[in-house]
Amino acid sequence: MKKPIALAIKWVLIAVALLGILYIATKLAAAGNVMAVVLAGLVGMGVLAVYATKRSVPLKYLVPGLLFMILFQLWPVLYTASLSVTNYGDGHLYSKEESVTDIIAQSVREVPDTPRYKMSVAIAEGGDPATADLVLLLTKPDGSTYVGDNAGLKPLPPTGVEKTPVGKITKAPGYTILTAKQANARSKDLSAIAVPTSDGGGIKPVGLSEAFEGKATVTYDSAADQLTDAATAPPSVYAPKDAKWVNVADPTQSFPQGWKENIGLANYSRIFTDSTIRSGFISIFIWNIAFAILSVLTTFLLGMLIALLFNDPRLRGKAFYRSLLILPYALPGFVTALVWKGMFNQDYGIINQTLGISVDWLGTPGGAKAAILITNLWLGFPYMFIVCTGALQSIPQDVREAATIDGANAFRTLRSIIMPLLFVAVGPLLLASFAFNFNNFGLIYLLTKGGPFNGADTSIGSSDLLITYAFRLAFSGSAPNYGFAAAVSVIIFLLVALMSIPGFRRTKALEEVN
Amino acid sequence: MHKRALGAAAVTGVAALALSACGGSSPTTPSDTGAAGTSKATTTGVPETPSGTAAPVRDANVDLVIWTDADRSKAVQKYADEFAAENGVTVKVQISTDTRAQFKDATKVGKGPDVIVGAHDWLGELVQNSTVAPVNLSSDVAAKFLPKAIEATKFNGQAYGVPYAVENIGLMYNKDLVPNPPKTMDELVAAGEKLVKEGKAKQVLSQFVSKVGNAYFAYPYLSAFPEGGIFAIKPNGDYDPNKVIVNTPDSVKGGDVLAELGKKKVLSTNVDDTNQDALFDTKAAPFMISGPWSVAKAKEAGINYGIAPLPSLTGGGAMRPFLGVQMFYVSSKAKNAALAQEFVTNYIPRKDVQLALFEVGKRPPALKEAYAEVAASDPDVKAWYEAGIDGSPMPNIPAMNSVWGPFGQATADIIAGKAGAKERLDAAAKEITANIAKG
Repeated sequence: MKKPIALAIKWVLIAVALLGILYIATKLAAAGNVMAVVLAGLVGMGVLAVYATKRSVPLKYLVPGLLFMILFQLWPVLYTASLSVTNYGDGHLYSKEESVTDIIAQSVREVPDTPRYKMSVAIAEGGDPATADLVLLLTKPDGSTYVGDNAGLKPLPPTGVEKTPVGKITKAPGYTILTAKQANARSKDLSAIAVPTSDGGGIKPVGLSEAFEGKATVTYDSAADQLTDAATAPPSVYAPKDAKWVNVADPTQSFPQGWKENIGLANYSRIFTDSTIRSGFISIFIWNIAFAILSVLTTFLLGMLIALLFNDPRLRGKAFYRSLLILPYALPGFVTALVWKGMFNQDYGIINQTLGISVDWLGTPGGAKAAILITNLWLGFPYMFIVCTGALQSIPQDVREAATIDGANAFRTLRSIIMPLLFVAVGPLLLASFAFNFNNFGLIYLLTKGGPFNGADTSIGSSDLLITYAFRLAFSGSAPNYGFAAAVSVIIFLLVALMSIPGFRRTKALEEVN
Repeated sequence: MHKRALGAAAVTGVAALALSACGGSSPTTPSDTGAAGTSKATTTGVPETPSGTAAPVRDANVDLVIWTDADRSKAVQKYADEFAAENGVTVKVQISTDTRAQFKDATKVGKGPDVIVGAHDWLGELVQNSTVAPVNLSSDVAAKFLPKAIEATKFNGQAYGVPYAVENIGLMYNKDLVPNPPKTMDELVAAGEKLVKEGKAKQVLSQFVSKVGNAYFAYPYLSAFPEGGIFAIKPNGDYDPNKVIVNTPDSVKGGDVLAELGKKKVLSTNVDDTNQDALFDTKAAPFMISGPWSVAKAKEAGINYGIAPLPSLTGGGAMRPFLGVQMFYVSSKAKNAALAQEFVTNYIPRKDVQLALFEVGKRPPALKEAYAEVAASDPDVKAWYEAGIDGSPMPNIPAMNSVWGPFGQATADIIAGKAGAKERLDAAAKEITANIAKG
């Protein structure tokens, strides 16, 4: 027997979900992504099928989680993987056709010793400003007036023509002059206009009030798939090579605009065959694991010790100490990291000054690693302290009393009773903390930016994590190369996944203590 | 678990925040560091401030969209409003926290602005990614600008924008400690060391070096020698990415100077962007090599500062800094290409616009007429301009992206005494060449 209210709520929720999907689908349709619209439609039908009928009860629980997992976990992984087999990156963002159009458009130069025209954009009188053919009303510096369109330039009789003091035509019989807004709406048509001139150039608008005579120096021969640049003497010929237009006669010269193409597994083979990358990758990987393990270990030990200390019923003013200890956790991590960076300065930092030493913390590999671990200890121990305090308080007092009665001393109680129970609670958290620190981008980036760098190679820093290394490849450094960075990310993903499997098995074993 | 997840989310968010704040400008371009002065312009429109650091969202109903950083937004807004009223259109000025990256990304998906305000050394990268359109100034308008500023807006002989300001580094000195600026580095070191010995200063010079080095500040040591520098010049005046000259004998001479100054503790890898100004402003260092962005802080600290050209090096000539040019670009994918071109070619070359932009940035204007007016009343601007008079524009070819890291690190290692100048610059040249070949 179903209550009508519950039924109503159910249908309202289904309607809301469907409306949401519809909204997303319209957005996707506006962006012209047919595939995604179809997918959204399928998801909508699925939602209806699962929740509107009485069948498939388990799915009713699983569908939201599944959907979000696909959207936020699976899709990014697949997208990254698909990107990793391309050369996508700076200079390789668009298609080959676009590179050709762009190179030709950018090669338009003003023909020397030609006049600058004052220009108004107009249409034949009575036409529709949104669709009628555009003409340019031009005034030469000597005051003579012309009408130009893609057919050619012809004189405009001066009778009835009105001009501004600088010569821009404001009124001409037989033509309607477009307002700035109307002309701007036709930007595409306007950029396609080139009034042909006798020397092979074309009069083209600059903005809305000037025109110049320009000529594209580059031409494309689609049969031979070659670009020819007439700006040099003799004209230079460019042919496609490695997704770029390279000069046939002098391969060191090429156009900066290349195109995106599939390069198969080249990015992966580069990771494994390039000796600098390979050795760098291995050293980064080792440090990355060491960093994650040491971070978890140090923060956990310190946090647990303090938690045990403050869990002692004899200690007074616990609330005060506890809130003080949480402070490093409450402060924004990036501020703290920058403050620590200042404190580690060799000459001006408070650490060297107080201790009277001259350690080059951030300039030597060992020093940088130590600095990172110290900072992360400061940032991380309050969290461990909080979770340990919570877990300790949930351990029932009678268990401890039982241990005492059985004759266990304090250390024995800690080792055999408290620690196993504690690990049940914090085990998964330690794993999560490991995974988090494995990709602790912010800390490294703010403190050392991955440095110091080994002399001959600035692509691999001695305190780099895989994630900062991939970031440098993708977004900074020499030439941003998303394709290659995606390949590195895929490898990182596989590594982390492989490492997590035994980890999660281990937590299962811990749970059996209960 | 929840708390941890929250913490993780917060940290990533914060990292993203910090990243977008530091990213963008190449590791060395301090073009965004300046925030001197505030605009006195009254505005009708209000620049749209982004929420957080995400890229602004383009308003589809506006006829012209301009992206700029927060400092310049008010001045741009004022003239954008005037342009809007004059042409009967609507213009929106939006603040972008990292124009260089956000423009590239937004344009890729068709959501970019029509016009952006940025530094000239972005140009090669923008052309490479087909994001900017040529801007064709007539030769008589172009002639009204400083020739070097116009030169900086060109790539492969094509012009891509209209400049409005020029900036470069120079020597700032504390007039209370040093009455007259030194002409040579030897004089500078002698004067500084004397002050340190007398206990009036703690160190000779404050210059941004940092552990990873700074190519922008290190370049003048190489350029003081005739064949020293980063790229050779092609016959047409462009930088040649195939001729890396960081390890020519003359460049190595510059490297030797860095090594020597490092040994004398005049230059130190422990000075970076976080403490460079503080050292000068607390009178710990009587000299600082920096740019116009440092003036506001020095003024606030009450330092009686002077600005002079960089000193010359023994055996070479004067240290010649890089020139950075600030300019307006038009997007190649602009939805309102006609209005964008109209605004950039007709408004930005105006004297009043250049003066308004000067007020917010305090950099010498690129328009000769505007510079002459400002220089007559503002001695700082004149001094900065003169400090950069022999400088050459920072390379705007994409290959420059391959230089910042390796060359910067090389100079840091040389200063720290980790490696000899010749050996280290050879290695840097090798790495740069390899990176360019890869890119």
